[in-house]
Amino acid sequence: MAAATHEPPPHVTEHHTTTGIDNRKMMMWIFLASECLFFGALISTYLIFQGESLVGPLPHEILNIPVTSASTFVLLMSSLTMVLAVYGAQHGRLGMMKLMLLATILLGLVFLGFQAYEFTSFVHEGLGLTTNQFGSSFYVLTGFHGTHVAVGVLYLTSMLLASQRRTGLGADRALHIDLAGLYWHFVDIVWIVIFTIIYLIPH
Amino acid sequence: MTHMPQAESHGEHPPTTIREYVLIGIVLTVVTAVELWVSYSGMSFGLLVGVLMVLSAFKFAVVVAMFMHLRFENGLLWRLFSFGLILGTAIILALTALFWNDRTDIVGGVPANAAPGAAAPAKH
Repeated sequence: MAAATHEPPPHVTEHHTTTGIDNRKMMMWIFLASECLFFGALISTYLIFQGESLVGPLPHEILNIPVTSASTFVLLMSSLTMVLAVYGAQHGRLGMMKLMLLATILLGLVFLGFQAYEFTSFVHEGLGLTTNQFGSSFYVLTGFHGTHVAVGVLYLTSMLLASQRRTGLGADRALHIDLAGLYWHFVDIVWIVIFTIIYLIPH
Repeated sequence: MTHMPQAESHGEHPPTTIREYVLIGIVLTVVTAVELWVSYSGMSFGLLVGVLMVLSAFKFAVVVAMFMHLRFENGLLWRLFSFGLILGTAIILALTALFWNDRTDIVGGVPANAAPGAAAPAKH
């Protein structure tokens, strides 16, 4: 019975792996690598179909680059606040972590607001999901990215709510925030590619 | 850049400071502004595409290396993510090359989806 008292409680048991990498972190990176294939397929579809439309509206008639540049800036800043939240978690600064998580969530919501505005204005200008090939591929690609942002906002909100009950941070909790950060930054780098391909390169 | 001592009980963490993170954020913002300027600059299409690709690849690499901390991670994770990234890029290149050079829908010199009476496309 005495030997059992030397075992650490289950919640602080370290995960020893043959690679030296925590399984949860490994799983997140494998997931992100698979997401590269997912978005690769969607970007390919857009590149193939965006110039094949027989009826308008066409990309150069409808895309609003200044508005999308503003939303791109918002998403970039959310990456900065996210990395600062991870920094706070890794250095035991709970208040900083909570504040930066909240800022990231709000910036994510602003980005989604920009996307909702863009989609709504496009529909009013006559570009629906089935109007032409550009519309179909555009909505599918940016819609899936927006869905990823929305999932990220929910993910971060759950992290923030879970941290409200805490008075301190351990290594395990810091890893959870780190994993959420990896997902959020991935959403940002996908947008870096989408912004260049859809909006900046003229059609 | 020197490695900071590990925090008491918060596990390993990268040596980047808050100041460096903010500087990286500013650099990313400036590069985005340059991208925007380039897209309106009126340079030739080929050059414009090349410059934009280099700039966005730079932003991509900075976020992955510094914000996602891949620079400080185990090399296995770097190889894992690179594998997915290379496959994803290969999908884009292969499919676009395949469909941009596709002539299988041209019947009798006229695209199958062309309006009646449309002229045959010029040969490349």
